[in-house]
Amino acid sequence: MYRLRYFALLFPFTLFGQVDTTLYSRLQIEEVVIYEAANGLSINSKSSTLQVNISRTELRKAACCNLSESFETNPSIDVAFTDAVTGTKQIQLFGLAGKYAQIQVEMTPLVRGLLSNSGLNFIPGSWVHSIQLTKGIGSVNNGFESMTGQINVELLKPEDLVEAAEAPGAEGRGDIQLNAYLNQGGRFEVNEAYGVRINKKWMLSSLGHFSGRQQATDINGDGFMDNPLGYQVNGMLRARYFGQNGWEGIYTFHALEDVKEGGQIARAFAPGTNTESLWSSAMKQGRVAFTSKMGWVNPDNPNQSVGTIFQLYSHQMKGSMGSDLPATLHSQWGGAQNGGLAQILFQHGWGTLSQTSSVLFLRDQYDLSITHPMLGQGQPWVEQGVGLSSEWTWSPLPSFTAVGGVRYDLHSIAGHQFSPRFHLRWAPGEKHTFRFNAGRGFRMALPLLEEWGRLASQRTVEWFQYGQVLGGDILSLETARNFGFSYQWSFLLNYMTGSLQADAHLTQFSKAIIHDYWTPGVRAIYPTQTQFGSERPVMTSATWGASLFYHVDKRTELRIAYRFQDLQAMYVMPNPIGGDYGRMLSVPFVAPHRMMAHLSREFKGDWTLDATLQRYSKQPIPGIDPWAWPSVDYAPAFALLNAQIRKDFAHGDLYLGLENVLNIRQAHPIDGAMDPQTGSPLLPSDPYFQSNFDATRIWGPIFGRMVYLGTNIVL
Amino acid sequence: MKKRLTLIALLFLPVIAMAQKKAEVRFQTDGVCGMCEKRIETALLAIDGVWTADWDRESHETYVVFNPKKVKELALHQAVAAVGHDTPQVKAKDEDYAKVHACCKYRNEDVTKSHH
Repeated sequence: MYRLRYFALLFPFTLFGQVDTTLYSRLQIEEVVIYEAANGLSINSKSSTLQVNISRTELRKAACCNLSESFETNPSIDVAFTDAVTGTKQIQLFGLAGKYAQIQVEMTPLVRGLLSNSGLNFIPGSWVHSIQLTKGIGSVNNGFESMTGQINVELLKPEDLVEAAEAPGAEGRGDIQLNAYLNQGGRFEVNEAYGVRINKKWMLSSLGHFSGRQQATDINGDGFMDNPLGYQVNGMLRARYFGQNGWEGIYTFHALEDVKEGGQIARAFAPGTNTESLWSSAMKQGRVAFTSKMGWVNPDNPNQSVGTIFQLYSHQMKGSMGSDLPATLHSQWGGAQNGGLAQILFQHGWGTLSQTSSVLFLRDQYDLSITHPMLGQGQPWVEQGVGLSSEWTWSPLPSFTAVGGVRYDLHSIAGHQFSPRFHLRWAPGEKHTFRFNAGRGFRMALPLLEEWGRLASQRTVEWFQYGQVLGGDILSLETARNFGFSYQWSFLLNYMTGSLQADAHLTQFSKAIIHDYWTPGVRAIYPTQTQFGSERPVMTSATWGASLFYHVDKRTELRIAYRFQDLQAMYVMPNPIGGDYGRMLSVPFVAPHRMMAHLSREFKGDWTLDATLQRYSKQPIPGIDPWAWPSVDYAPAFALLNAQIRKDFAHGDLYLGLENVLNIRQAHPIDGAMDPQTGSPLLPSDPYFQSNFDATRIWGPIFGRMVYLGTNIVL
Repeated sequence: MKKRLTLIALLFLPVIAMAQKKAEVRFQTDGVCGMCEKRIETALLAIDGVWTADWDRESHETYVVFNPKKVKELALHQAVAAVGHDTPQVKAKDEDYAKVHACCKYRNEDVTKSHH
């Protein structure tokens, strides 16, 4: 049995996660569990990609709640809102929206298709075991969609829960983990994780989540709720199998329902006002998915393995925005995405050389429709494809690794796509690591619905092309190539470890969907592509940054980071004389200079303090001057400070935190919501509201300082 | 201004920390596995005046950096013995040794062998 488990641990590296293999070293010695990595954030210097592992320890430092918020203490990722009413948070990597990174749960797609907008909100933070963040293009075997990087989320597996309870030193700590959270904004959350061993071969687990908000708040007095009301019920059942002869498997059933309702609050208006036609937004989403993963490691040669992934899912969404008055842009949309994937991976190693190859079948059946005063579209379509990929790793010396991969996709819409990718790692001495990567990726956009929150506006929606604004044709293809270089220096100063890391990345798009807000009152969406005979990319992201990690003493950890990001896209300038001109302009909602400082200190008596300071520089946002093109405004620079204290007990912990300690707020996140003279909220029937309403010019927090309280309990 | 002060304070933390006097010591400590390592290091780090502690699984050597004004070297040995691990200066009491997990029983030859 022990021998078999040992083989099983080699396989997780390819199929059951990208987790650093040293984490699995616990399996080499019977019954020894090193349950958590010592560092919250760690960069594996042996990996050929610039990969940061974010452990559960690190996730406890983030205030709340789901994946979109778990990058708060990470200097590489920004969190941004799409609008001021739906409360949807999205992440940015290199200033580019999260949709350009490949975001996966245990190597299966997560933020893709209809989930591009809110997929991150559907993974509760307390389900997460660890997150692997790869800056720069990822492995060819994981799919074609990695353009800026890759984020893989490993959830708690049955063995994580069962082995934690069975571990020596876990005296009395059982296999049920509970979490509860409540904040001043009225958000509550309850999470559960439970694992049980059935017999020597099978383990089961359940992950549960319920969250919601029932009480509407309006801090800025504009008549709109600061956050939508609603609830999310989310559950996962998992079965884990460790069999004979090198077989293992994990089977997961996932179902969720999410309902969000936001907009104007009736009690914000004077008594007696007719509040029948208030502006409101509603969104209901549901998802059911089943995933099966099986793997086999040759017991006679652990360097040979085969893995399979099957996934079937069905996702439904139904939403609306606006007021029922004809003069407001009332939109309604609905969509279904049913699909699945099947993948077989083969791995073989010969000493210093190893290869992993894969065959992937992908099928998505979309049925989307939208009604909007300017757009009435709806159509079903099928997107399917076959992908062949092979990746070769050559590591002749411990200090050198070269990885070359090629991927060929035959896609029903994108046609033939060839994606080569290349990674190089050189570590002269133990203390210095250089990495280089280059590669290409592509994705299929759903131009309108992947950012549905941005419909919360009186801006007219313009789509210049004959194709579908909803997606499903060649105009929705986005392609990019990415180059990255990084240097990492590990040092020992005053007996304590530290590291300095610097990296630069360039992402160039030859095809991209542009969302153009440079004409007030208009939101133009159009595909652009590099003109024939020109090498000029249509969208580029150039970033560089440096970060310092240092253990000041045994109880204090300090992180300081700076990042510069320059994101530009080709916008089409409307020309009344005829003929349009393309101009490269900075993309809005991206702060060019970002700074972060994080301090973590443990005190006697199991108290821990975490504080994070984030600074955003001045950033361009769409302007309101109707005579200028581009009409640009600049949002002021601001800083966010979050702090949390935690007390650990034998059976869990209790944490109390303050988000946004400095109480920074965007005073008027929604244009046209208030009377400019009196400052009282306006009804959608008001002409001022009708000509100015726009909730998409959001750059900062709405709520301000917020207290939260939470607890984790292990029973 | 407030922000700038915080930043300056953060930058000076390491300097204040470095100003303390430190001594290094290495001694053999019996143990076998990663669990032992964690137990030994945790016991040492819990002492006021211990700066850093590391037990090496291969050489069975404990390396401690500490402030001799705050803690005596013998106290380090005593702390390790108190959690059940023998050092050249202090042998763990039988009742403390009894508390270590079955897989860490380094005085038992079968256990030490199974870790090689």
